[in-house]
Amino acid sequence: MRGGTIREESPEFGWTDAFDPTGEYLGTAWGMMDQLLIRGLMTYKHVDAAQGGDTPVPDIASAPPTVSADGLTYDFTLKDNVMWSPPLSRAVTADDFLYAFQRINDKKLVAQYGNYYCGVIKGMDCAAKDDNQPISGIKVTDPTHISFTLDQPTGDLLYRLSMPATKAVPVEVRGCFPNPGDYGVDLISSGPYMILGQDKLNLSSCSTIKPISGYNVDKGMTMVRNPNWSAATDDTRAAYADGVQIKINSNVDDSFNALENGDLDVVQGTPPVAVLQDFETNPDFAGWLHADQGDRTWYVTMNLLAPPFDDIHVRNAVNLALDKAGIRKAYGGDLRGTLATSVEPPTVLPQSTQINPFSANTGSGNATAAMDEMKMSRYDTNHNGVCDDGPVCQNILFLGRSTDPWPNMNQVAVASLKPILPGLDLKEVDTSTGYTTLQQVKKLIPISMVPGWGKDYASPYGFDFFIFDSAGIACTAAVNYSLVGMTEAQATECGVKPEYDAYVQNNGPMPSVDDKMKECVAKPADQVDACFAELDTYLMTVAVPWAPWLWATQFTSTNLKTVVSYQFDQNAGIISYVNTSVNNGLTPQNVA
Amino acid sequence: MSQVQQTEPTLEVLAPLESGVEAVQGRTPWQLFYTRFKRDRIALFAAGVVLLLIALALLAPAFARFVVHRGPNDLNQGYTSDISVPLLGPSKIAWFGVDALGRDIFIRTLYGARTSLLIAILATGISIVVGIALGLMAGFVGGKLDTFISRLIDIVLSLPLLLLAIGIGAARIVRGQTLSLREREFVEAARATGYGNIHIMFREILPNMVASIIVVATLLIPQNILFEAALSFLAVGVPAGTPSWGGMLSDATNGALYRIAWWMLFFPGMFLVMTTLAFNLLGDGLRDALDPRAGR
Repeated sequence: MRGGTIREESPEFGWTDAFDPTGEYLGTAWGMMDQLLIRGLMTYKHVDAAQGGDTPVPDIASAPPTVSADGLTYDFTLKDNVMWSPPLSRAVTADDFLYAFQRINDKKLVAQYGNYYCGVIKGMDCAAKDDNQPISGIKVTDPTHISFTLDQPTGDLLYRLSMPATKAVPVEVRGCFPNPGDYGVDLISSGPYMILGQDKLNLSSCSTIKPISGYNVDKGMTMVRNPNWSAATDDTRAAYADGVQIKINSNVDDSFNALENGDLDVVQGTPPVAVLQDFETNPDFAGWLHADQGDRTWYVTMNLLAPPFDDIHVRNAVNLALDKAGIRKAYGGDLRGTLATSVEPPTVLPQSTQINPFSANTGSGNATAAMDEMKMSRYDTNHNGVCDDGPVCQNILFLGRSTDPWPNMNQVAVASLKPILPGLDLKEVDTSTGYTTLQQVKKLIPISMVPGWGKDYASPYGFDFFIFDSAGIACTAAVNYSLVGMTEAQATECGVKPEYDAYVQNNGPMPSVDDKMKECVAKPADQVDACFAELDTYLMTVAVPWAPWLWATQFTSTNLKTVVSYQFDQNAGIISYVNTSVNNGLTPQNVA
Repeated sequence: MSQVQQTEPTLEVLAPLESGVEAVQGRTPWQLFYTRFKRDRIALFAAGVVLLLIALALLAPAFARFVVHRGPNDLNQGYTSDISVPLLGPSKIAWFGVDALGRDIFIRTLYGARTSLLIAILATGISIVVGIALGLMAGFVGGKLDTFISRLIDIVLSLPLLLLAIGIGAARIVRGQTLSLREREFVEAARATGYGNIHIMFREILPNMVASIIVVATLLIPQNILFEAALSFLAVGVPAGTPSWGGMLSDATNGALYRIAWWMLFFPGMFLVMTTLAFNLLGDGLRDALDPRAGR
C-alpha cells in the first residue's frame, strides 16, 4: 500500500560522525542512508536474511562488475538515469563516486572504516591533504564507467562497495565540508527520499549552503519523497510511504505508550519488560513484536594482559562457568537470540554453530567443568578449582553496564563466575563510559560485559577485522579490547610493556590472527567462509579472548493497526523503511 | 568550670505538701527533657519504630541465615518468567515476594535498612562534625573569618543538592547559636577566670548547643536516607549488588515492572516512607522536649 507516513520515536540518534556518510560508523545511520537517502554502486535488497538481505546487489551499477582474471580490477557500468534530488536535479555520474572515495582518502575527514579501502585500492592511503587529490587506482573513463584497481585480491570487495562511505557524493560540494561530520546536516539525496527542506538548499557556493530544516540532531528528522527518484531505476526500494519521521524522545515508556495508543507506527529496540509481557501474552498485541536476526554477538571480553586472565585456563573456565541462559533470560528471554558458542553469528559465518569448544557448558554454566579447568591454572595454588593466588585473585574489576536491564544481567553473570573467581568486583557504568574505558589500553580492564559487536558487512572479515586484528589496538581508541595480536611496539607505545613482557614470559608469544586474516580476505569469495571458520576456531581454542553468550536478535515493535506490511533490513539490522507500508494516510510533519 | 546554660526554668512547683507549704525540687535539664518527651505519644511511637528498624537492620544476617535461609543476593530465576518477570508475590515462600532475579525482597529490604541507616548515620555524623567546626569558628571568632565562612556557606547552599550542602546547613545553625551564646554571662565569667578560646568554645558554648545539635542530627538522618535512596535510584549510589531501598525502587521502575509486580515498589517504598516519617516525628518530639519554646 502506498502513502502515509512511518512515524517513529527513538531515544537518541547516537551518531558517531554527525550523519556524514564518509565517517559515520553507526549501523542505524548506515541503514537510514542506504535505504532512504543515498545510493551507491552496490546495495542490499533491504529485506531479511531469508530473502537474501545480506547479499550485495547492484544499485546504480547496471550489473555486477566485470572482474579481471587476477582479481585486481573491477569495472562498473552505471545506470545513466539515476537523478540527484532538487535543487541539483542532474544524473549521478562516475565522478560523484570518485569524489566519495576522495573524501574517504582525505585525512582530515577521518573515514572511520577507511581501512576497508586504504591499502586495498591502489593509491589510497587515507592520508590525502584534502578531498581533491587523485587516486591512481580509480579510473573514470566517462560519466557511466568507473574502474577500481586493487593492491591485492580482495574477495569481499563488493560488500565494501556497498557501505555508505562509498555512496555517490555530488562533486558540487567538493571543498565545502572540510571537517568530519559537517556534510551530515546537508546530505544531498539520490535515494527515494530526501530530508524535508533539502530542495531549498542554495548550492551556488559553499557559503550559501545552510543546514537543512528537516533535521535537528536533538529533535528528529523528517524525510519526504525525492521527486527525482524513479522506481524504474531501483530494484531494491519499494518506497511505499510518502515519508518517514523520526522523533527524539528519551522516555522509552512514553514511546511505547504512544505506539500502543496508535500515535506511532514503529519503535525500535527493547520494550520495557511490562510492555514485552503485553506483547507476548495479550492477543490484542499479537504480532506487534518482531525479533529479527541482528548479526551481532554479545560477549564477555577478557584482557590477555590482565592477570588472572593472562592464563588461558582462567579464560577457558570463564567460558565454562558463564550462565548464558540466565543472562539471556534477564535480557528479555529466548526472543533475544540464540546462545552463542563462537565469535561470529551464524548469519555472517554459517560454520559458527559447529565451533563449540566449551560444549560442557550447555547454556546455564557448568561450575564443575569450570572448576576442573581452573585447577590447571597457575592462579589456583591449592588446585581446588578457585582462583586464590593472593591479590591477583582479589578485587578483579568486572565492568558492566548500568542501564536497564544490564544490572540484572551483570548479577547473573557475576554469580555464575563467583565459584571460580570469588574476587570479582562488579562496577557498573553507563554504556558510553564503559566503551570509553575499555578503549584505553593502559587501563587494562580485566573483564567486562559492556561490549557487543555487530558486523560492518555480512562477510566474516567485516565482523572479525577490527575486533581481533592488531589494527584494532589504538592506545586510546582500541576496539580489540582483549588485545589479541598486540605487538611489542604497540605495548611500548601504549605503556603496557611490563604486562606484555610478563605475558610472553609466562605463555610464549601473544596469540595473533593478523596473518590468517590477510590470508582469508585474499581468498576467492567461495573460500572465504571456510578460511574464517579456521580463524574463529583458533580464536576460541588458542586465543580465547571472549566468552560469547548471545547471537542477538533485533527487536522492532510495530502497531499492526497502521503497519500493513513489515520488512526487516538484514544488512542494516533495522526496519526496512523502504519495504514497509502503513495505512495511516498521514502527510509527513516536520519533527526537527 | 563547665556549665550548662538553662533554656527552661529548673524549678518546678510540685504538689502542695500536707503542711500546706509548697516544696520546690530542682531537676536537671535531662530530667525535664525526659519528663516532657515521655508525654509525647507520637514521638514515643516514632522512637519505637526507629528502634525496631535498627533492630531489624542489625538482625538482617540472622534473618537471612535462620529464618528465610537465603541471602540478599541469592538468585533464583526459577521464580521468574521466561522474560524475567517476577512470578512470586508476597507469600509464605517469600514474605515480600521476589524481584526480577528471584531475589527475596524481604531480606533485601532488611539489608537495605542496614545500608540506608548506616549511610545516613555516617553522613549525618560527618555533617554535624563539619557543621560544628565551621559554625563554631565563624560564630566565635567573627570578623573576616565569619564573613568568609558565611559566604562559603551561602555559595554551597546555592548549589544544587549535594551531600556537602547538608553539612553546611548544620554549620549555619551552629554559627547562629554561637553568636548568641558567646555574649552570655557564663562565657564572660569563663573568660574572666582566664580560660582560653578553645576551652570556651568546646567546654562552655558547645555543651549549651547539644539540644539543638541533637534535633538537627535527628532531622538530618531522614534527609540523608532520602538522599542515599535518590542516588541509588539514579544508579550512582552504593556499589552494584548492595541492597538499598533506592536501588530496589529503581529495580521496580526498570522496564515498568511495578505495573506487574507491585510488591517490588511497595515494600521498599513503605520502609523508606516509614523510616523517614519516624525520624522526622522523633526529631520534632526531641525538639519539643529539649526546647519547648522553639517554634516548628
